[in-house]
Amino acid sequence: MAELRKRGLVTAVICSGPFLKLGQAQARVFGVPDLPLIVIPHPLGGLSLEGVKGRAEVAIPKVIDLLKEHIR
Amino acid sequence: MPGASVEAADDFEAVNELCRERGWSDGLPIVPPTAERVEQMLAYCDRPWDEPVAVIPPRYGDATPLRLAANAVMAGCWPEYFPLFVLAIEAMCEEPFNLYGIQATTHLCAPLIIVNGPVASELEINSGHNAFGPGRQSNATIGRAVRLALVNIGGAIPGLCDMSTFGSPAKYTYCVAENESASPWPPLHVERGFAAGASTVTVVGAECPHNINDHESLTAEGILTTIAGTVAITGTNDVFYKAEPLVVMSPEHAATVAGGGYSKADAKRFLYEHARLPLGRFSKENIERRLRAKFPERFAKAGMDAPVPMVQDPDDFMIVVIGGAGKHSAFIPTFGATHAVTRALKLRDGQLAPSVEAFRRS
Repeated sequence: MAELRKRGLVTAVICSGPFLKLGQAQARVFGVPDLPLIVIPHPLGGLSLEGVKGRAEVAIPKVIDLLKEHIR
Repeated sequence: MPGASVEAADDFEAVNELCRERGWSDGLPIVPPTAERVEQMLAYCDRPWDEPVAVIPPRYGDATPLRLAANAVMAGCWPEYFPLFVLAIEAMCEEPFNLYGIQATTHLCAPLIIVNGPVASELEINSGHNAFGPGRQSNATIGRAVRLALVNIGGAIPGLCDMSTFGSPAKYTYCVAENESASPWPPLHVERGFAAGASTVTVVGAECPHNINDHESLTAEGILTTIAGTVAITGTNDVFYKAEPLVVMSPEHAATVAGGGYSKADAKRFLYEHARLPLGRFSKENIERRLRAKFPERFAKAGMDAPVPMVQDPDDFMIVVIGGAGKHSAFIPTFGATHAVTRALKLRDGQLAPSVEAFRRS
């Protein structure tokens, strides 16, 4: 994801709440401190398909916002 | 002295307070890494002090001898321990070990260091009674130096980059030697292709030991049956990977197994064939999302009675002999997505080091 971002693509990493700090730390380590991190409620693991879709519904508007910003 | 340093009052409590504030600690008091102590530690370093020997994830910090020496001082190591500590860091930073995964995972694993060869007795690393427990400075401080380096250089700070759900006591220190003289079989490092006279570390991304009590079995098959029964469980990472779980046999159990005519390879094959669970013992979701998805050739159409082995291949089991008197063995599952790495203690010119004294700067 860091590599794709460095090449100018719109990228984001989706992470659940408790892992946000790890995501931020890794983005800094990989040289992309501004890498967008989209936070969804924890957990993602162990969910039914319906639950996973619910998480996606949280993430999708944020992804759309990212794309809109990139286009602007 | 090259590299970053920190000014602090020449006071034990003040330095410990500073390290606590900055998270440079495992929660226990540290030995202040003064310039003088760090230089003494580096007396056993034959490399340039500021050239990294490895990079430690997830921060990918440069593990220079200077930084490693500071952590070794903090842990309470004698300088003689330094070469083995450096070797352990190098081994766990090798690609197959997957240190990034082991550092950041929600799993409770810690790098277990198993020492073989002459340096084990040279440094009095415990391989007998209470080998995994407290008592010997070498076991305690080499393992602790590793943890401090993983935190301070690698960035494995709890809740920040170390996401272990509840951790384990093995994350304080986890260093043992194999009890080679009490083993009826070739030692681990010889089995893994190294000369008997080489000193090695084998690093394993390991859970804590789970005891296997067998005071009654009189035959190899009996002991191995008890071991197999303990190994066959639904809750390891190993069962979902091509993984290398570890079986530690006490000398007494090993003697019974070897006395029945079993080589290590024979014992591994017995465990492979007998440490199995019916598919139905796993939850519905683990069957669908893990076993059927991960091993389709074995489970895609398998019924609830289909046997699930605990490893993918008999030789994936690792067996070592550790401990003193007593009829116990231990099962040590791993992180799963990791492979044990064995590395030999060598001087800078590539020669096997006959002794830690060979590293000493004149």
